[in-house]
Amino acid sequence: MIRVENLYKSFDGRPVLTDVSLEIPEGHTMAIIGRSGSGKSVLMKHVIGLLRPDRGRVTVDGVDIGRIPYGELRQVRRQFGVLFQGGALFDSMDSFENVAFPLRTFTSMTDVEIRREVEDCLAMVDLSGVGPKMPADLSGGMRKRVALARAVALRPRYIIYDEPTSGLDPETSNTIDVLIRDLAERLSVTSIVVTHDMHSVLSIADRAAFIFEGRMHWVGTIDEMHASTDETLRAFVKANEYQIGMPHAPDLP
Amino acid sequence: MTRNRSIILAPAVALGSYSLLLFHAFSSLGEFGSYRKNVVRQMVRVGVDSLPIVALAAAFSGAVTTVQTAYQLVSPFIPKSIIGAIVVPSMILELGAVVTGFILAGRVGARIAAELGTMRVTEQIDALEAMGLNSIGYLIVPRVIAGVVMFPVLYIAASFIGIAGGLFVGHAGGFVPAGEFIDGAREFFQPFDPVFGLIKSFVFGFIITSISCFKGYNTLGGAEGVGLATTQAAVISCVYILIADLALAATLL
Amino acid sequence: MKHSNELKVGLSIITAAIIFILGVRFFEDLPLFETTYTLETEFDNAAGLIAGNVVRVNGVGVGSIDDVYINPENNRVRVRFHVDREVPVRQGSHTVVSGFDALGVVRMDVVLGSADSAKVPVGGFIPSREQADLLGSLSEKAPVLIDRMDGALAQLTSVLETTRSMLDDPDGDARQALASMRGSVGTLDAMLRAERDRISSILEEVDGITSGLNRAMGPDGDSLAATVANMNAVMARLDQTLLTLDATASGVNELLDKVNRGEGTIGLLVNDPGLYHRTDSLLGSLDALLVDFRANPGRYLKEMRLVDLF
Repeated sequence: MIRVENLYKSFDGRPVLTDVSLEIPEGHTMAIIGRSGSGKSVLMKHVIGLLRPDRGRVTVDGVDIGRIPYGELRQVRRQFGVLFQGGALFDSMDSFENVAFPLRTFTSMTDVEIRREVEDCLAMVDLSGVGPKMPADLSGGMRKRVALARAVALRPRYIIYDEPTSGLDPETSNTIDVLIRDLAERLSVTSIVVTHDMHSVLSIADRAAFIFEGRMHWVGTIDEMHASTDETLRAFVKANEYQIGMPHAPDLP
Repeated sequence: MTRNRSIILAPAVALGSYSLLLFHAFSSLGEFGSYRKNVVRQMVRVGVDSLPIVALAAAFSGAVTTVQTAYQLVSPFIPKSIIGAIVVPSMILELGAVVTGFILAGRVGARIAAELGTMRVTEQIDALEAMGLNSIGYLIVPRVIAGVVMFPVLYIAASFIGIAGGLFVGHAGGFVPAGEFIDGAREFFQPFDPVFGLIKSFVFGFIITSISCFKGYNTLGGAEGVGLATTQAAVISCVYILIADLALAATLL
Repeated sequence: MKHSNELKVGLSIITAAIIFILGVRFFEDLPLFETTYTLETEFDNAAGLIAGNVVRVNGVGVGSIDDVYINPENNRVRVRFHVDREVPVRQGSHTVVSGFDALGVVRMDVVLGSADSAKVPVGGFIPSREQADLLGSLSEKAPVLIDRMDGALAQLTSVLETTRSMLDDPDGDARQALASMRGSVGTLDAMLRAERDRISSILEEVDGITSGLNRAMGPDGDSLAATVANMNAVMARLDQTLLTLDATASGVNELLDKVNRGEGTIGLLVNDPGLYHRTDSLLGSLDALLVDFRANPGRYLKEMRLVDLF
């Protein structure tokens, strides 16, 4: 269980998050939505302790990860898998080594076990056989899928997706969305999806948190979001649907 | 990370964050076992792969020093063996280490900064951290160790090849017979000279790799930031090589 | 692939270490490999011998001094040195310190024993002898002595020529002086054969010149500028001296006549060994000094290392 309480963070004196509280219950997929620059990614980085809060706290299973020593923080982080925006594959290694990297680093598996595990992970993202390819030789969508395979290699309890569909064509975006939903079910993980793509939100999340101007503006289930009368939220959702031209957009009143 | 750094405080802030970064890096030496493979890879890149260019530059500096010394010594009163007595200590004391230093500042320093800078802006460093790895230790320690171990090796190669180049050009070009060259070198040889050169190269190796790591690790922005970090790493390394050169000569000679 | 990385690194480090060690030994003039063996000897007086000095056999460098220290057991000077393996140091060999301390060209000579005796073992001891007695060998050395004097003065002439050509303002007097000096040498040669009283007075003058030169180039005169300045002063004195020499030249003619008549023989020379002892060492020193200066001006020009330019 991840809990964010009254988080405040500023950069160079400019506040980015002013008062954010959020609870992400186990086993759910929570979408964090908001405009570009609204502080979604900053919130995400607090959740895995890449940033430390100026005020407020972030707890993972009751541990305040903004205050614990670095060594303990690293232990906490191993329960997370993170899919970064561009994939963040290590470009000095081929796809196989990228997925194998966390296994080699944090487990005492033999080479044979690692090989089997990596192949499992790559199969999970429908990319069996791309092992020997270097990240530079992969398309954007494939890169993200390899990165996803790497993120789940250690069977994390939490997976964080940072803009998983940004920069991808709608069809590839769909593939990624399907993958995310499948993984959530198969691995029964708690997922946090940071995105501004409402199409993703609707197809994978069961809850959404809307950040607006550095504050947690609205939190609720997808159904509640549909029913919400909040003008700002409705404007954001509508703008997104219009932009994508989503054919099966749910009817909003 | 405060924006209002005064001109006076900026260098102190830079020195402070540089020292902290190195402290952080080397306080993770306990995990050296997991860096070992990386250390060897960096040693090959820093040391073995740099040998050809270092050898080329050293051979030419030795040759040029010989020719120019011969050109300057026109008096029949001074024996030709003096050429050896000038070229050999010059290579051992100064040129071997400094020429190698400048070449590696360009070759190794720029590459380290570009590599780490790219990793930073493509979130590969964040990915390492998010996995629970100590990215500072993992990325910086192997590079700095490779620098301080392989740089003296390159220095020895450079001195050897430089002296050989000077000897060859002096003999083949008719400036000084090889025997006289060696006699002169022996007459003025101080056993501390090569030790001093080794100390120098050790320090230079540390300066180049640590400054480049610092610049690369703290890259801000995108491609432009990487470019800036790369240039700065090479230039600042060169400047500090010169400063360290003078400081070492003043304290140890 | 995985191994070749480790191999590359390991090999380059080992190679560098070997080059470093061998290179330092090479320039220190130590043997690169164990092709020498160590011996020891003892002196009453090491006369400035230090570690690094050359060890010679019959004038050929065959090794160097490793260590010089006072033996606490007998207060004599213990010297450890090494020589090439090919040099057969046999029983009956002995060592002698030679060279000229003031110029820093001290060395040690090993006089080999007869070829049929046993080799001295590694680390073995060789007795020393003090410098051979000059008085005893003087009579047979007299002709050599004169040759050396001649040679030394010829060398002085050419050095002064060189020096003069390097000076901005060539000294006419010096040129004249050198010319007359060269002329005088022949006279002097003849004179030496003729009569020792005259020679004595001339040599006293030469003595003055030499000590002047010594002061110029002794331990204190290690910069070229100072040397040249001193040289100027010496040349002025030479000028005077050579005037005296000229004045005696006419007398020499008479002497030559006497020699022709059979008066005054080379045998007379040994009648005053003191004079010749002094002459020998004095001219030997001058000779060594000049030869060394011509061969190794670097020794006097330490400051000229260009190293610090970089």
